[in-house]
Amino acid sequence: MGPLPAVLGEPIRFTLNWGRRYSLWVFNFGLACCAVEFIASSVGRHDLTQLGVAPFAPGPQQADLMVVSGTVTDKLAPAIKRAYDQMPDPKYVISFGACANSGGPYWDSYSVTKGVDQLIPVDVYVPGCPPRPEALLHGLLRLQEKLAGAPDDSSGAADPGARADSSRADSSLAGLTAPVVRPLTP
Amino acid sequence: MIGAMTPEEVGNRLLAVLGLQEGADMTVSGGGPGHARATVDVPADRWVEALRAARDDAELACDFFDWLSAVDEQERGFAVVAHLWSTRHRHGLLVRTWLPREAPAVASVVEIYPGAAWHERETHEMFGIDFPGHPNLAPLLLPPEFEGHPLRKDFVLASRVAKEWPGTKEPGGDAGAGRRPPMRPPGVPAPGEWGPPDLNQ
Repeated sequence: MGPLPAVLGEPIRFTLNWGRRYSLWVFNFGLACCAVEFIASSVGRHDLTQLGVAPFAPGPQQADLMVVSGTVTDKLAPAIKRAYDQMPDPKYVISFGACANSGGPYWDSYSVTKGVDQLIPVDVYVPGCPPRPEALLHGLLRLQEKLAGAPDDSSGAADPGARADSSRADSSLAGLTAPVVRPLTP
Repeated sequence: MIGAMTPEEVGNRLLAVLGLQEGADMTVSGGGPGHARATVDVPADRWVEALRAARDDAELACDFFDWLSAVDEQERGFAVVAHLWSTRHRHGLLVRTWLPREAPAVASVVEIYPGAAWHERETHEMFGIDFPGHPNLAPLLLPPEFEGHPLRKDFVLASRVAKEWPGTKEPGGDAGAGRRPPMRPPGVPAPGEWGPPDLNQ
């Protein structure tokens, strides 16, 4: 699904974005304690599959979303890069937890990569050590908002406008059972 | 329970089997009631003999090899410690030997406890201690291009030299600065103490 001519316009872009954000196939690159929190957020009580993030992709080649949860070490860094490269476009990355965001509590260590964004472009950072499952659900909602505003031929990471921080005056996310999704105002 | 020995008796038994003076070079460490273990210091040239005695002696019968690693005690050298456990008598024993800082080496115990192979590989790459007699002393955990021995106390943790720590500097944010000297984790050098002089200027 390469770049489409702009003349096809808004209805196509809206439909593609709607389809992409509500059918994310997630590939959990679980490395450490945050992987357990990811699993906890996927089972009954918090249930991230209610957001449409299902099924769990059998490998990077069938995924559009990679969630890097846990500490990234220098020895594993080539493997993460390889898994990201194997994902087909459009692809998105959520960095889950303090270690994946910036190295976290192991920032001083001799073996830790200071954040997975040194290797791959990240769309959403979920802070916490570990983040609560609700934080991951919130991060997925943020990603879905970002996808709602994405141009039709790029993943979220390639579009600098979509990556800008959006400070929304009204937070109309009325609960997690009926997420209100609006495009980010650049 | 078969042969219930107190930690002191376990330690003294190993010293007796080796012919070392009873009571000397042995301490009993904490761990709470019922979990204390004796730590026996043996000379480095009797390391293999000591572990074999711990395994083969009927009263010690330490058939389970638990852990082997080293501690960098700076001026005193490296302490190589082996944690042993007896599944028959349900008692544990720590056997320790001291090595000098320059050219540290102690014989490998792989023929006594084959499970020590990976522990000795990790100790070798983390501390630089040589284990002659080990069949394959290759690095175990570190990436192949890593230089240095990270768990030595003089190994500099250089992340903060290259880049400012991104977190808040003091409890209470910047408002709390100046009240007391900032804490640095061990191994992290003070600003300006290590590295090229013009970094971050």
